[in-house]
Parts: sequence; structure tokens; C-alpha cells
Amino acid sequence: MIATAPPTTGVLDSHWSPALEDLLACGRSAGADLVEVFLERTDHLGVLAEQDTITSVTPAFGMGAGIRVFLGKRDGFVSTNDLSPAGLRRALEQALGMLGLAPGSNGRSGFEGLPGLRDFAATKADWLQRCPELKEATARLLEGTDQLQRQGKHLQARRGSYARDWQEVLVAASDGTFGRDIRLHQSVGLNVLAADGEHRAGVGRRYGTSDQPDDLRRWDATASAAEVCASAGTMLYADYVEAGQMPAVLANRFGGVIFHEACGHLLETTQVERGTTPFAERVGETIAHPAVTAIDEGLTGGAFGSLSMDDEGMEAQRTVLIQNGVLQRFISDRAGELRTGHARTGSGRRQSHTFAAASRMRNTFIDAGPHTPEELIASVDKGLYCKSMGGGSVGPTGQFNFAVEEGYLIENGQLTKPVKGATLIGEAKEVMPRISMCANDLELAAGFCGSVSGSIFVTVGQPHIKVDSITVGGR
Amino acid sequence: MSNTNSTGTTATGLSAEQLRSSLASIAAANGIGRWDLGAACSTDISVQVDRGEPKQMKGAQRSSITVRVWNDAGLVGVTSTSDLSEAGLERALTGAKEASAFGNADDIPAFSPLATAPLAPLDQPIHAPQGILRLLDTLKGAEQELLARHDAIATVPYNGLAERSSERIYLNSDGACRQQQLSTASLYLYARAEEAGRKPRSAGAVRLAYGAGDLDVAGCINEAAERTISHLNYAPIATGHYTCVFSPEAFLDLIGAFSGLFNARAVLDGVSLSNRESIGETLAVPFLDIHDNGLHPGNIGASAFDGEGTPTQRLALLEGGVLRNFLHSEATARAFGVNPTGHAGMGAKVSVGPDWFEVSATPGSGGGQSGLDRFKAGEPIVWIDSLSALHAGVKASQGSFSLPFDGWLIQGGEPRSIEAATVAGDIRQVLKAIVGFEGEAKITPDGLCPMVWVEGLSITGEA
Repeated sequence: MIATAPPTTGVLDSHWSPALEDLLACGRSAGADLVEVFLERTDHLGVLAEQDTITSVTPAFGMGAGIRVFLGKRDGFVSTNDLSPAGLRRALEQALGMLGLAPGSNGRSGFEGLPGLRDFAATKADWLQRCPELKEATARLLEGTDQLQRQGKHLQARRGSYARDWQEVLVAASDGTFGRDIRLHQSVGLNVLAADGEHRAGVGRRYGTSDQPDDLRRWDATASAAEVCASAGTMLYADYVEAGQMPAVLANRFGGVIFHEACGHLLETTQVERGTTPFAERVGETIAHPAVTAIDEGLTGGAFGSLSMDDEGMEAQRTVLIQNGVLQRFISDRAGELRTGHARTGSGRRQSHTFAAASRMRNTFIDAGPHTPEELIASVDKGLYCKSMGGGSVGPTGQFNFAVEEGYLIENGQLTKPVKGATLIGEAKEVMPRISMCANDLELAAGFCGSVSGSIFVTVGQPHIKVDSITVGGR
Repeated sequence: MSNTNSTGTTATGLSAEQLRSSLASIAAANGIGRWDLGAACSTDISVQVDRGEPKQMKGAQRSSITVRVWNDAGLVGVTSTSDLSEAGLERALTGAKEASAFGNADDIPAFSPLATAPLAPLDQPIHAPQGILRLLDTLKGAEQELLARHDAIATVPYNGLAERSSERIYLNSDGACRQQQLSTASLYLYARAEEAGRKPRSAGAVRLAYGAGDLDVAGCINEAAERTISHLNYAPIATGHYTCVFSPEAFLDLIGAFSGLFNARAVLDGVSLSNRESIGETLAVPFLDIHDNGLHPGNIGASAFDGEGTPTQRLALLEGGVLRNFLHSEATARAFGVNPTGHAGMGAKVSVGPDWFEVSATPGSGGGQSGLDRFKAGEPIVWIDSLSALHAGVKASQGSFSLPFDGWLIQGGEPRSIEAATVAGDIRQVLKAIVGFEGEAKITPDGLCPMVWVEGLSITGEA
């Protein structure tokens, strides 16, 4: 029986230990191999500025629990907003029932209690209070849209958006995992729609950090607006790109979405489990050009995908995925380790308590190489330079695609006219060996990744890279 | 009421009366005279399988509310929460009051004048959930049958069978009270097939119903198998301009991605391809009608009312290719001097979105070129089955798109799957380059639509 009531402090901390121990013992005594409880509190603020007016302020807060039970290689997962003893008990019993288990049916627990709390949040208690208050946040956003007005031409619409996501988590599992963390993600986006007669160009940029309460205060609105306006001014009169196969040079920062989509997802153990990655049996083999070394890590200070511990209570680490073209290892979570044998990498992540954790990327990038960006461009007779990338996706057969927001033709080793409307498509197995040159200007960029365990904060990144040949969709 | 877990929720769902009572007293204690609320509560169970074994079984109980508060200056603030306890409601109301200080004086939402108007009847039978073990058996059987359809189908990597029981409420301080209960079920099967020395191919199918027992499981298996097998024999396509035949699903995806054309909020924000004077303009060929009709019986899980309590209705968007109406919230309708249309969300700035499209030939127009048959065409035809990556490849405010797709090239009546390709164009040109329609309109999760022929689209392939 679960008799211990959860604490009423509203904080997720060691006071929860007795209630969690009751749940874990109950699950184990029902015959579960492992029981995991994920508790969460969230506090979100969204602000939207349009032209020179704040048009939307959207606070939201919530709490909930996700309870996961493993039996063999199977698992059952139940989430609930009801953190009362009865609510948690009901969720546990439902998860057990999915596996044909019932409380007390095994007669023994085998669970010896939780150890002391590993509290990664101890130094983060004041983060939320240190973030800008609403008045300051709205003023900074209006500064951004004002800068767009000052620096842009032919702007039909100007938007600035700010999102602050605070999350407190407590993870306890019957294998002795007991950790707490606080995460803080802030991002600012600037978007414009430029229009002149029949010419239209929509351009946007988003800047994001983790764990830096002062981020919005330090945001350089002038520089961000300049970047957006310059791109909009260029793309407004750009012609549509001519379709075909051609070499491409992809700029640093968000250009890293190519590795994220083309290869990163295929190195998650969820893809190994599904049988949807061509790389499943290729650890130790060459899967990319020797110029490519690729890394996934959760350690870079302030990066959007960094975390002290993952959503399964494991500390983040640096994972070399590909070294000089050779596949080293996969991105793995608890279920991935259980089902594929690939050791956990601190990559069990989820959007919220309503999702079971899955193996997901953190800060994922191609490492810097020896060349200058100019050398890459100079090596192309006729091709495409992708200065700014949009979003993309990868399908169940490894086919990827992503949009080019700002592109230029490369002719005789020189950047010439701007082009728009390009989509790059290809297949991971084919494109990775074609990344033949990496420059020395690695930079990261904040992004969001949607997959099996919801939308999570990630970083993509790379230096300038050259792809020898890729299909460019256009008109 | 018995079995109450927290304010406004019971073991069986939400209690509108309890929510109203709690909010009214908290609002009064905090000096809040005008408020409204949207609440939702759901119970879900779902299963996935992998080659005969249960992969993941999930359950969820969710509840959430969004409250709006009008302050003494008439400005609106909003807050959302999943905490439906008394303390949670109070925090939400006071948070909304605090946010109202930053309300937009130039665009203040009000209660919908139709928030108490009669609702159209919807035939939505409530089914008791079957339970996870029956779902699991059904899905294992479906997977097994799909795997047996062809030697090349080795896995069904994306699959799921789910049941949901849900409830929605809209309340306001003027006495409006809307409540809707619903049960729905969904099945999706996406198979992956691979032949020796060839690239893997994938395709799938989806089915919706009001209960798991009503799902067309056999139809889903057949469609997933046929589509997957049809992609095994593939070849690259040469880049060029082609006449394309969009499947109902693909055409509805495209219309949905550019629904900003019909969206009054987008028009007011200056990010739509339409403007305030666009009503009455010709946007498409003279034989195209598009209606938004959330009330269509094929719209499984239709909402009876929108986020502001306005009844769902059938609305003409294009008739004879001419723009007739925009989709509206209360605020945009007021700005245009019309009635709200039942397409609002809820917020300080209220979003507007479509429900469910009906694409058809304009009555009496002949529907463009008659007798279209993609297998009897004299020229190569690209049959676009499904579009991908709409989030990345659509520039809604510019009108342009460049999208990967799955489909077939039909030459001499013989279809052959296209290896990898994109289709690119401009929605305004697409609407004016429609040649005609083929076949009967098909009900899909996003609407009702026949196959649509469009000439002169740019296809990029790898041949």
C-alpha cells in the first residue's frame, strides 16, 4: 500500500523521498524489473511584440508525473496531472497492469530505498527570480521590433517573440537513481515580412540559451535586427534557384541541421530499435568522409541542448559519434541500452512528464576542420552556398530534407547572386561520404527538435562544410 | 459531487458547475468581474508493437485550463495551467490579472456574441474504451497481417492504436456554458519494405473512428500494404515541369499549409497573401469551391464550438474560385463588421484556424476538364501521393513551396514509384492552374477532396 502522502511544499526535493519509495517498492513488489518516477513543475512565459505593440503575454504553469515500468524489454508508461497519493497510485497500477502485473503479486520488493538526493538544482534555486520581469521583457522585445523598423526596408510586418521555460524535475528509480535539477531555457526570435510589389520575403532568426537568467538582458537587439534585415533585403529580390544536382557549401551555425537530420537521428537507439537506421550494424566502420568528426554532448555552457542530468537522472557527457568518418557509438537512453545493448550516454530526454524519455540529441555538431570558409567556396565551380538554413526532417527510410532560407550561387569559386526556394534532399548513407571539407569556424545555434518524446531544446552546429554533390529542389 | 480529485475535476471528467462556482468565488475575492475559461480533460491509452511484441504501452490523464481576465481598464490577460486545484485556479486568475496590465489596447477580445447561440447537433457516439490489452491484440494482429502481405515488408516501424475519452468546457462570467464529451480512436500503420540491392521504401495509412471497435483495421492494412508495395519498383525522375495529380490527402495538406489566405487574423497582422479588400477577388479557377465545414459527419472528433464558445459552422471560402469569406474569431469579426465564424482559439491575442475542408467542383460549372484519368493521359503524369516536411518547405506568407513527396510517374498508363523528388510552386499559381478533378471526393482526416489535376508544376528529381 502507498500510504505516504507527497509533501505539500510545492518544491520537488528530498521531501518526496518517502512517497517515491512507496511507489517504487510497490512497483517492484508487483514484479516489475524497474520502476521510474519523473516529477515535473513548469513555469512558462511567452511574449509577442508586433510592430511596436505587445500583442500577447501568455504565462502558463503546470505539474505532473510520468511513471514508467519495465518488465524484460517491455515497458508501460502512464502520465498524470494528479500528484495526490491516490492519483500517483492509480497511475502506477495502470502502468503495471499494462505489463500484466498487479501490486503485491510478487510478494517481495527487492527495493532497498532511495539514496541521498543528487541535487543539481541546489545552485539554481533563484534562476527564475533572476530572469527579467514582464515589464523588462516586453521593453526588450519592443527594442527589437524598433531596431527592425530602423534597419529594414519594405517591411510589411515585424515580430519579436520571447519564450522563457523554467522546469524543475525530480527523477527516482528503483535502481537507486534519485536526482533533481532545474532547467532554464530562454529564446528570442525576430521575424519580418518584406514586400515590394510582387516580391515578398519572410525571414526569421531565433537566438537561445540555457541556464542563463540574464540572457534576455544581454541579447544584442541591434545586431540581431541587423542580421534579419540584411537577409530580408537580400532575399526580397532573389530569383528562385534552378533545380538540379550540384555541390553545396553550407554555412556554420544552423547549417548543422544537415547533420542533425541526415545522420544524427539515425544514430539514436530508437532508430536501431525500429530497424530504421542504415547504420545499426556499422560501429567501427567508415560511414562518412574522413574529414568528418561528429559529436553529441550536453556540457557546453549556456548551449540550448546542455543539461546537468538527463530526464532519466544520468549526468550529461560528451559522446563522439563519428571520428574521422568512422562510426564510434550511438546516442542511447535506458530503454535503448536495454533493447539494443548500446550503453546509455545521458541522452534520455522528453518534452514533459507526458512523454516517456527516449534517446535524443543534445548539442550535436560536426567538429572544426583545417580549412577557411573561403577555401571551400573557392573549390566550387558551380554550386549553391547555403548561408541560412530552415527546418528539415528525416523519414523512416533515411531520406532527409531541409529548406534553405538564404542561398547564393557559387560561380567559378565566387559567391554571385542570391537565390531562394531551395530544398536539399538526399539520403544519409549517400551524403555523409560527400562531406569532403570542413572549415575552421565551428559555431552552434539553438533549435527545437520534435520526435518520439516530444519537442526538446537542442543545439545544432558545424563549421562551413562542403558537400560534393546534393539534390537541390527548386523551380 | 463525489469522487472529486481537485477543483472542477471528477473521476469521470470535468465538472462545469464546480469550475464555475470555484472561479466565480476566486474572481470575486480578487476583484475580477469579467472572465472566461476554456478547460479540457482527457484520458488516453495507446499501444505500439514491434514484430509481435508490445513495444510501448502508454496511458495519460490530462487536464488543463486557460483563463482570461478583463481588468478595470478593459484590457485582457491570460494564463494557462494544468493545476486544477483551488490554489492552481487562484494562481491562474491572479496571473491573468497581472498579465492584463500588458494587454493590447488596440485589439481587445470580447465575449463572442454567439457564445450562447444554439449548437448544431453532432452525431458523435460515445464508446467505452476497450482497454489496453484488447488494443494490443488488435494491433499485433494488424502488424502480423501487414508483414505477411509481401516478403519485402520486414517491419512496421511506425504503428500505433489509441483510444481517447475527452471533455471540453467553455464558461464565461456572463453565463455562457458549453460542454462537449467525445470518444475517439486512431490507428496508424507505416510499413518499411526493402529488397536486396535496392533502397528501403516506406508508406502507410491512418484511420479514425469514435471507438476502437469501429476502426477500419482491414482497410488500414490494405492501404498501407498496397501503398508500400507500389513503391518497391522505383526509379529516379528527370527534373522538369509536369502535370501533377494530387491525392486528396496531398491537396488538403497544401491548402491547409496556405490557409492564411482565408485567415482574418493573418490578414489583420499583414502576413496573409490576402488583404482586407480581397473578398470578392478571384483566387482560383472558376470551377473550384472550398468550404470549411467542421460539422461534416466525416470529421471524426469535430468540435461543436470554438475556443470562444462560438458554434462551429459550414463556411464558404471559395465559390467559383472567388474568395467569399474569411475565418474569424470574435475580435477579427468585429474588425471586419461580420459575425464570428467559429474558428477561434483562446488567448489574449486569439488565434484563428481552419477546421475541416471540403474541396469540390462548383455546382453547375462542369468542374473543369471532364473525364480525367491519370492512367489514360497522353503525357507523363506525376501522381503526388503524400507531401513531406510542410513545416520547412512552405513559405506561407510568400506563397511559395518546395516539398519532398512520395508518388508515381505514370507513362503509358503504367505507374512507377519516384525515387526521391521535390515539387515546387506558388499556391496562387497552383489555384489558377487546376485542370480539373478525377474520381469521387474522398473523406480524409483533414477534409473531403477528390484527386486534383494541376498543370506545369516544377519537379526536381535525381535522374
